[in-house]
Amino acid sequence: MSGSPDAAEPAKLGNPYLAALVAWLVPGGGHLYLGKWRRALAFLVLVLAALAVGVSLEGRLPWHFSGAPLDILKTLGCLGSGLPYLCLHYLVGYQGTVAAAGYEYGSAFIVTAGVMNLLLVLDSWDIAEGQKD
Amino acid sequence: MSHFFLMSVYAAIVSAFFALLWRRSWRDQTRLFLRIFLSMVGGGLALAWLMYFFPSGPPVPGP
Repeated sequence: MSGSPDAAEPAKLGNPYLAALVAWLVPGGGHLYLGKWRRALAFLVLVLAALAVGVSLEGRLPWHFSGAPLDILKTLGCLGSGLPYLCLHYLVGYQGTVAAAGYEYGSAFIVTAGVMNLLLVLDSWDIAEGQKD
Repeated sequence: MSHFFLMSVYAAIVSAFFALLWRRSWRDQTRLFLRIFLSMVGGGLALAWLMYFFPSGPPVPGP
């Protein structure tokens, strides 16, 4: 019966909005906020490793919010990396080198880092809501 | 760096990520990691061999 004390709602571990925001800004940050520090550390290492490999190969860091739809999608995917992406764009001025031998591979690594972090945002939300452990 | 090395690094990172995201016990994580990693590397190699039958450009002129 709905509303009875037996139909217990899953216990919330934290504010899902805050968890999602922290998870987006810092890879693994959402898990750290929710007390899952081992997973947080592993995710931080994995996302930053993908980004570091991409940058070392001089892959492209897209910044297009108009024009070809796929470019916009790629920018949104890369934006998923949060602060590391913004730091690379604004502080370092990194863009990538089209003529570099590893340009295509590097671009794939950079987009993958962003999309992985977006999945972490969703995971943090679910954990904060108590829908996952 | 070779294509194969980069492909393996990519597969390792993605496999580890999904193993940690989708499984909780160490044993399950290892199993899923291996399954995804081998699928990606094996699939890449299989695709590469299939592409062998489709030359990408005009034949190189002989001496």
